[in-house]
Amino acid sequence: MFNILSLLFKYIFIIIIYMFIFSIIRLIYLDIKGMDFVGSGDYAYLKLINRKDSLPFKINEHYSIDEELSLGRRGDNDIVIKDPYVSKNHFQIIEDEESYFLEDLSSANGTYLNGELIGDAVGLKNGDIIKVGNIEFLFVNKG
Amino acid sequence: MISTKLSGRTPRILLFLYEILALSLLFVYQKDNLDRYILATGIGLVLLVYISNYMLIKISKGDNYIFLIATMLMSIGIIMIYRIDPEAGIRQLMWLSIGILFFYLSYFAVKYIKGLDKLIYLYIVGAYFLFLITFILGTRTYGAINWIRIGGFSLQPAEITKLILIFIVACYYSQYEKFKEIKYSPYILMGIVYSFIGLLFMQRDLGMAVIFYGIFLVLQFIYEENRKLVLINIGLIVVGGIIAYYAFAHVRVRVHTWIDPWRYIDDKGYQITQSLFAIAEGGFFGKGLGLGYPHFIPLAYNDFIFAAICEELGIFTGIGIIMLFLLLVYRGFKIGIGQTNNFYKILALGISALFGIQSFIILGGVLKVIPLTGITLPFVAYGGTSILSSFIALGILQVASEDAEWRMDHE
Repeated sequence: MFNILSLLFKYIFIIIIYMFIFSIIRLIYLDIKGMDFVGSGDYAYLKLINRKDSLPFKINEHYSIDEELSLGRRGDNDIVIKDPYVSKNHFQIIEDEESYFLEDLSSANGTYLNGELIGDAVGLKNGDIIKVGNIEFLFVNKG
Repeated sequence: MISTKLSGRTPRILLFLYEILALSLLFVYQKDNLDRYILATGIGLVLLVYISNYMLIKISKGDNYIFLIATMLMSIGIIMIYRIDPEAGIRQLMWLSIGILFFYLSYFAVKYIKGLDKLIYLYIVGAYFLFLITFILGTRTYGAINWIRIGGFSLQPAEITKLILIFIVACYYSQYEKFKEIKYSPYILMGIVYSFIGLLFMQRDLGMAVIFYGIFLVLQFIYEENRKLVLINIGLIVVGGIIAYYAFAHVRVRVHTWIDPWRYIDDKGYQITQSLFAIAEGGFFGKGLGLGYPHFIPLAYNDFIFAAICEELGIFTGIGIIMLFLLLVYRGFKIGIGQTNNFYKILALGISALFGIQSFIILGGVLKVIPLTGITLPFVAYGGTSILSSFIALGILQVASEDAEWRMDHE
């Protein structure tokens, strides 16, 4: 009885250990993949507040805003986030005469600006915090 | 399947699953002499590991992986130890609980005590003091005087001294500009480190001497502006190694049994050959837990735990352990590179180097890749002080993985 159990379990142990290693490697891989932000300049960008390796999907530390920036789960957005909490088209940021506006694209779970759910398009100022699900971005405007 | 459902929780659940399965298997194996106490401690371990992993995410904003990796290694180790010797397993369990406690203690201590980087002279005095008490109170086991016994406990002071060494070097290089004004200060530092190595040599603790040298070389290589010193350091060890080979019989024995253990199979080469037999016997998937003969390996739950694991759980588990150590060291170096505070950066690099070198020396020794020196495999092998110092080191690494900006705000 014990022998059969033991023979069976040794394969299960190896599978579990390798799944463990694999899941850690994958989380670390997602962490490394987003390290591509270069330098600084005179523009506006979003900075991720969360620790990147606490989020189990691909996400970058910084996204620069160039006239327009959209976030959603679907592939044609500027920021694609594969989180079930994020809607297909979640929000967008539009530049208009040097100022930036945040607009929720009627997402299921909403977009929060400094802790408040936004309805219509709102103006953004330096240091604002945009929250979608568990993900928090800091809006930085150097212009 | 995994890649779509993967979340930050996955490794923790896998670890939990592994422990539950291993524990139930061991209970079936030991069912004749199972009592309520053993059952309770086993379940206690699983809960302890799960809860402390969960707590850490809430407490620390730093790295989530190093503690997970360490607890996985620890789980593989304790199951093997318990299978070889249930009594040692229970004692190891106690040490692990204390180890996890010390992990949190050192985490909070290093995080909240300020000015740790100013105490270089205290560290140096402390290190010499630990050597002194080893010589006065030390007992000789397996040819080395590195244990002291206080009450019922055996302690290995050098395990703590190696952490002090990292602190000394980190103090020095984080205030490099200040110390550079003292004449010959890099030579004084080198002299101090070499005196440690010399004292370890006198205790015949060769493995530890190599660890001390390795840590110092790595940190010196990264930070020393005077590159000539790095070359001197490398040159000295080559000369020192050759002299040690001819001057000391116990060094010569290690080299001979490494090159050809089969010739000394009756006597000095016995350990290595038994270890090789055990690894070969296990094959890819191992004999199965409880079905091998780890009692034939001397020190099976101590220095040679890797061979015992390979025999019963297969070389794939062995490769898994090596991969876990690689990940741990990689995370450590990444923490070091990401850290902005110089003192914590050097601590993180030193501790990563420590884990890397220590596991390499013992794994290499057991696999007959390098000469064998008796040190413990961090987190896996049986041994009180070794577990404690590994967990303390891990706690320091955890602090280093957090943003130093946090500290700046509060000062």
